[in-house]
Amino acid sequence: MTEQQAGLADDILENGVAMTVPPGFSIDRRERHTDEYFLNMGPQHPSTHGVLRLMLRMDGENVLEVVPHLGYIHRGLEKIGENQTYLQNIHLTDRLDYLSSHMNNLALCLAIEKAMGIGVPERAEYIRVMVCELQRIQSHLLWWGVLGMDLGAITSFLYGFKEREMITDIFEEMCGARLTMNFFRPGGSFADVPDTFIPRVRAVIEKMKTAIDEYDTLLTNNVIMHLRTKGIGVLPAKTALAHGCSGPVLRGSGVALDVRRSDPYSIYHRFSFDIPVGTVGDCFDRYKVRMEEMRQSLRILEAAAASFPGGPYRSKKYASYNLPAGSYYSQVETARGLLGVYIEADGGPKPHRIKYRSPSFANLSALNDLAVGHKLADLVPIIATLDVLIPDIDR
Amino acid sequence: MGMRHIGYATRTIPKFLDPLPGGAKLVDAIEFVVAWARANSLWPLIYGTACCAMEMMSTGSSRHDWARFGVEVARATPRQADLIVLAGTIVEKMGSRLVTLYEQMPGPKYVIAMGSCAISGGPFYYDSYSVIKGGDRLIPVDVYIPGCPPRPEALLYGIMQLQEKIRTEGRRNPWKIGTLNQAPFGDPLAEAKKMWADLEKSRPAAPPAAADAAGGNGAIDRPKPKRPATEQFAEVARSPLPAPLLDNGTIYAYIIENFPEITLTRQSEQTVEQVRALGQEYLLDLTVPLRRYVELVGFLKDSELLDMNFLLHVTAVDRPDRFEVLAHLFSANQGHNILIRCALDRQQPEIPSLSPLFAGAIWHEREVFDLFGIRFSNHPDLRRLFLEDNFPGHPLRKDFDDPSRVVRRPY
Repeated sequence: MTEQQAGLADDILENGVAMTVPPGFSIDRRERHTDEYFLNMGPQHPSTHGVLRLMLRMDGENVLEVVPHLGYIHRGLEKIGENQTYLQNIHLTDRLDYLSSHMNNLALCLAIEKAMGIGVPERAEYIRVMVCELQRIQSHLLWWGVLGMDLGAITSFLYGFKEREMITDIFEEMCGARLTMNFFRPGGSFADVPDTFIPRVRAVIEKMKTAIDEYDTLLTNNVIMHLRTKGIGVLPAKTALAHGCSGPVLRGSGVALDVRRSDPYSIYHRFSFDIPVGTVGDCFDRYKVRMEEMRQSLRILEAAAASFPGGPYRSKKYASYNLPAGSYYSQVETARGLLGVYIEADGGPKPHRIKYRSPSFANLSALNDLAVGHKLADLVPIIATLDVLIPDIDR
Repeated sequence: MGMRHIGYATRTIPKFLDPLPGGAKLVDAIEFVVAWARANSLWPLIYGTACCAMEMMSTGSSRHDWARFGVEVARATPRQADLIVLAGTIVEKMGSRLVTLYEQMPGPKYVIAMGSCAISGGPFYYDSYSVIKGGDRLIPVDVYIPGCPPRPEALLYGIMQLQEKIRTEGRRNPWKIGTLNQAPFGDPLAEAKKMWADLEKSRPAAPPAAADAAGGNGAIDRPKPKRPATEQFAEVARSPLPAPLLDNGTIYAYIIENFPEITLTRQSEQTVEQVRALGQEYLLDLTVPLRRYVELVGFLKDSELLDMNFLLHVTAVDRPDRFEVLAHLFSANQGHNILIRCALDRQQPEIPSLSPLFAGAIWHEREVFDLFGIRFSNHPDLRRLFLEDNFPGHPLRKDFDDPSRVVRRPY
């Protein structure tokens, strides 16, 4: 008898209803004389942003408990990474959180640079900051469009993608890829930015300034938007920190943790930008934090474009990147939060162990605290404003 | 049920019509119209697992707009779908769901494998223990679109290819699912080598040298291929970053004052001055005995000076003689981080859980349990996180080997 069959045999029936509950819930047995039921959501679902699977304990339309099931896109990146050289690992980081692929590349490159003492020229640092901020805007634009679609407004999806394509064009001209960039290398990037880079960035800044105001009139000030997000999915700051949430999710709860400020990397310390924080920690706060982050990114871009220097775009190339034995860690602020890369090197060309600490993983772990007590329909804006990306969670 | 009826009708009606005078032409004409209609209204089932899904969304949105080609009503349900676009990696756990989705689609149904992962596993072909090496191991694929990810134009071209296929083939029986998922792993490198060897054999012999000397066709002055010169870059010194409030030396001094049994990992010198001399870029990596592991993490969390209120991750490292569990703490307010390392017996690895201190540790520890097989005592919910419960072994262990799943990199 297999394990599953044994489980079914133990499943005591009462009035035709199984009394045992699926794994992961806080209760062992279903309560007698209640209308509680269990509902499966995903992995094939339009609002779970990929292949997330949730098991819900419901009472009518109210969510009593959420148990996320992961692994529907677990590709074993860390195992694959152990069999590839450090430079070959860069392209794997693209596929973690593909909407922040530049920042993922940067996180790994920073760790390699730290380990080998590689410096980065001025122009390369500027390229890094600008490209990362462009991608932050790009990622938030997609999030904004999809959030609207999750709430039933398909217009925002089309608007968001319109401006997003402008930034995609910049990346495409720069490195040939639209999504999985593989652009940064230890010491800089693999190619210089084209001459059209700065004019194009300026065009994006000009366009985005009016576009964000347009988004505000379109969605932010929409009464349906307010009704569906205000007071929904409140995440207290203490819970958020205990779960290790980061990025706009944590800042929406009022904790001003931004790796760009608290553990600065590249040349972020030279730019002035504000860290928007929320007050309540509900879906609307997370929404407003992201909208404001786009404006702050534009501020950084504007300052960087004004003082964009010449010179080499990378420092000395090495024939092989063999990290000396030791443990190395670097972290960056991606569009979703704190991404950490931990490398355990043993002196060879390949890592002994490479671990990605992904922001979505921690952010999603707080889902149960957010969703309890709300309606099933509210789960959709909650997941949308957590902005989780499933390949980033599953790795 | 319904599928059988449609199949029955399409099989039997031509049987009656074909023998009649002009009947075959009538069937042909109907088939032509049906195929034309089918090709121009492909309703896709959204099956996006990874990066390719973003490009699929781009294709559906403002600039590219696949509705121009009749691809509309993109939904995440198989009910009205004709087409499934496999956008992204398919892993073992998702495989059975994909087959279910495909079986739930009403026929005739078509499949586009978008991107390297859906074609062959792509960048995850080698060394991955969970990726299915191509969607066609599970369901029959009509069109393959290479790329990682393919551009929206490529997807549009793939759709046009599919339309062409539907138009030319007319109707077909799309409900046959072979035993593709039982197919053994191919060895593409060996196959390619064999192909190259065959090509070498079939190549015509070089013309005799005499023809060159005589000024025949052989004496062509071929230009030498030009390669762009490799750019040279100067070495650049690392520019200093703003220092955090606490330097490593102060942190280390404060910790060993309270936990004297702590040692620095991989460092022969252990004094505070030597730690300070390692600089700010050195990751403070402390080894703690098992009995004081939770106590130390609690101390760091509650300490007012260090204020380590943020658990970055809990993970493990496999060493030949031991497992090491790592807990990585970060101070959200002050910006310093500390790695705590604890060696475990390789036979019966068990360590107390950090979940009473940090709620976030629950999932991290489940991941370590799943991939390393390390048990966490007093963990509230110790189940596998990513893999199926019946997955054999723990894949991140160095001695994990499963030839039925893993294709080893041949170089």
